Amino acid sequence: MTALDEVNMDNEVSMNKGIWIEGPVKKGILEFFSGLLSSKKVEAVLMPAKNKSKDSYAWFLMGKDGLLESAEPFPPVMTTQGARALSYLTKKGTAWKKTAVVLRPCELRATIELAKIKQVDLNNLVLISFDCPGAYPLEKYFNEDQKELDEIFGACLSEQVELEGARAVCSICHRFTGRGADIEIGLMGGEAKGFWLIPGSGNGEELLEGVSGSKPDNLEAREKKIAEATIQREEKRNNTLDSFRETVMGPENLMNTLSSCINCHNCSRVCPICFCRECYFDSKALSSEADNMLQRAQRKHGLRLPPDLLLFHLGRMTHMSISCVSCGACEDACPANVPVSMLFSLAGRNTQAVFEYEPGRSIEEPVPYKVFRFEELKDFETPYTKEYAKEQ
Amino acid sequence: MDEKNDFTPSILYGLCNWCGTGGSETAGALHLQYAENIRPFRVPCTGAIDPVYILRALIEGADGFAVSGCHPGDCHFDQGNYRARRRVAVLKTLLDTFGLDTERVWLRWVGHGEGKRFADTVNEFNDHIKNMGKNPLSQRRDT
Amino acid sequence: MQTLFDSRMTMADFIAALFDKLEVAGVAAITKLPSGEKTAYTLLADKDDIEDCVPYFPAMPANAARAVSKLTREAPPSKQVAVFLRPCELRALTELVKIKQALLDNLFIISFDCAGVFPFQEISLSDEAKLKAYRDAVADGKNCEGIRPVCNACTRFVPEGADIAISFIGRGLDEPLALSFPSEKGKEAAKILGLDSSDNVETSPALETLAEARKKAEGELTKKIEETLAGTDGLISVFDKCISCHACSYACPICYCKNCYFDSQTFEYFPESYFARMGEKGALRLPVDRVLFHLGRLSHMSLSCVACGMCEDVCPVNIPVAQIFKTAGTRAQALFDYIPGKNPDEPLPLLTYAETELEEFED
Ligand code: SF4
Ligand code: SF4
Ligand code: SF4
Ligand code: SF4
Ligand code: SF4
Repeated sequence: MTALDEVNMDNEVSMNKGIWIEGPVKKGILEFFSGLLSSKKVEAVLMPAKNKSKDSYAWFLMGKDGLLESAEPFPPVMTTQGARALSYLTKKGTAWKKTAVVLRPCELRATIELAKIKQVDLNNLVLISFDCPGAYPLEKYFNEDQKELDEIFGACLSEQVELEGARAVCSICHRFTGRGADIEIGLMGGEAKGFWLIPGSGNGEELLEGVSGSKPDNLEAREKKIAEATIQREEKRNNTLDSFRETVMGPENLMNTLSSCINCHNCSRVCPICFCRECYFDSKALSSEADNMLQRAQRKHGLRLPPDLLLFHLGRMTHMSISCVSCGACEDACPANVPVSMLFSLAGRNTQAVFEYEPGRSIEEPVPYKVFRFEELKDFETPYTKEYAKEQ
Repeated sequence: MDEKNDFTPSILYGLCNWCGTGGSETAGALHLQYAENIRPFRVPCTGAIDPVYILRALIEGADGFAVSGCHPGDCHFDQGNYRARRRVAVLKTLLDTFGLDTERVWLRWVGHGEGKRFADTVNEFNDHIKNMGKNPLSQRRDT
Repeated sequence: MQTLFDSRMTMADFIAALFDKLEVAGVAAITKLPSGEKTAYTLLADKDDIEDCVPYFPAMPANAARAVSKLTREAPPSKQVAVFLRPCELRALTELVKIKQALLDNLFIISFDCAGVFPFQEISLSDEAKLKAYRDAVADGKNCEGIRPVCNACTRFVPEGADIAISFIGRGLDEPLALSFPSEKGKEAAKILGLDSSDNVETSPALETLAEARKKAEGELTKKIEETLAGTDGLISVFDKCISCHACSYACPICYCKNCYFDSQTFEYFPESYFARMGEKGALRLPVDRVLFHLGRLSHMSLSCVACGMCEDVCPVNIPVAQIFKTAGTRAQALFDYIPGKNPDEPLPLLTYAETELEEFED
């Protein structure tokens, strides 16, 4: 069974439920939240809003009296990965008050991965996600006309076309809907006239009770559109990653790709999956004495300082590529323009395939490193076929 | 051809304290000969070998890295070898993804009493790595 | 003023002489990467590998003091290693030695008067036009267009405390090296290299011209930053788009702590506390402690800030971090009459601080 079949199967749950709301999505969603807060169905909302200086977005936890005018459930950039914001809030325990959280699909998937490793506590949270058109690179957003970019983004969101000038990973994103959230904000198939609120869980259903809107008669058309787009995007993703792989294969190409990397580790610090407070690659485990480094330098015709640059990237991949959700946060935060999220997406696609694992697909699906099987992965062993006769 | 024979690869061999080491001891007791340029080292369990060790060895000078431990079902810690296999699978997938010689890493189970299998594995891996030649990854100053 | 000698050596000859005559076991300097586009600070341990070594290439992909700290912190080399550092990197190293994060044993320190560097993202080996402009600027003793703002305004661009100092400014990067030997170790080296009074040359007047231009630029930078920071909201708005990635502190040579205090458990809170804080204000920005982090970092290290610019180079959202730290640092340093990295024997003045007092800065 492919991942797609599974997605389609899940659909049946929500097929006949949901609410259609006419009008612009941002306005509608903010009204929806305002209703939830005043009816005390939730007591707080976590979502992005424009910062004070109005030159960027940040996450805000907002209460009944604090729902910010500048709130922006659909920001055109990802400043802090939402799963990371959520893990700040709930790493040490359950959210104190029932909190609705608006996340991009990749942030939602990262949230589910973090919940599996106890870095997010899902209790008391209502997760809400949406059909995401992509996000701009931070650098682009800070260097170009923000107003214009905001407008283009808004149009792409409501008309559901892929965002032009989006980050590399967004242009190959194949899990672009809010499926899996407690409430899915459905835009695709709505022809820019409004949006659906589709419950994905009992929790979501409860919240939608009494929300006024019309019955969604054409959800089927939406599902068809999503299915088609998913197939298309999956193909694009695979093709793009395959041709990207051609350009980074082999020591020469790989190291050329990494030659601008300054080994600052910022990619791992902003990655939602790299949650370790003390990263192994910053730890004493890797420090060594000067004489040892001189030996290494002699053997390799030179040692880049700080050392262990390739080890950091490949090692980080062994640690977490299985859970990489292709969110692009790493690349946004890279000061050296290394295509780091493409490297990790490629690595992730391949390691995930080994276990038919898809990060963030389901909270029930355990992270592969925690599963043990007697019989599997024979291909990765080197078989002992005959008694070996030593070469002369 | 001569070039290959001249090259003495640097090889690390991670053995679990139980079966892997047992196999090497049995080989010793049987006076089986095996290549001496292989540097075996013990770990409590194959499950304790972090792929990052293997990577570090490959980047910093090793030409090959083999891992041996108890056959499935025989792990002293129950499931350590399954964990090792998953980790090696991830590592080899990554090496393959980036075109970095997956065949420099071997995982092969060796039971406690399997001295012959141990010696054969050492010799076979040694010849195999000799045929592959020096590890290009360990020769670069930009890593 | 140190005596300056005409060494009659090119940079390549000089590095070869380090191996051959001074018998160093290694040289650490900016070196071309095999890709042929970028450079990295690299430790070379074999004379045959020195071809790609370009110590004056105008990029700082890592602060060399941080690299030298990595190299020596566990145990210093048992044989001499020559390390090339820019003046600000050398000052950072001196600060690190004071707090025992680097060891000078067996290090032979080489520095040079520095015409600044470009942001590392913006310079490659193939950027011929930029590099030509840079060479011209060095020869003329002018500020080159495109170098980082803190370099433009750097007035301490002549090395303090090196064993060998190379003088480029006013002479050019391709002329035979003019060397001075400020330390005892350096004077020994001069003898080994066979330089004597007949090789003396004049210091270039261009150093003065550049110093004046830099002084002026520093004044302008200070004024600009002070204006930006003025008022209670100044600091908050400068750091308003900060994403709290802490790249600035990880790249900073002075912020040596492996586990930064601001990434420690102290700054992880129970959900209750977040909701309580939200309650007071109606809305709470996450992650919290964004401004606190910068203020805290200032209080931890601004006395030692050498204005090297690394923090600003790595900031993914283009906050002028180094300009702010340089301005605030200079002010704090003036209070104590302290110049970081000037004198290895001068202890660090202690500054007391209390993070909790700063919380009012958060929104
Ligand atoms: S990666 Fe996908 S889900 Fe994430 S922002 Fe880009 S398009 Fe949206
Ligand atoms: S590695 Fe990069 S793309 Fe993958 S989850 Fe982490 S930040 Fe996102
Ligand atoms: S990829 Fe970018 S963010 Fe990551 S270590 Fe390299 S330079 Fe830093
Ligand atoms: S604060 Fe910035 S400018 Fe100052 S020493 Fe640190 S990295 Fe350099
Ligand atoms: S590097 Fe920039 S964004 Fe990151 S913490 Fe420092 S100032 Fe903030």
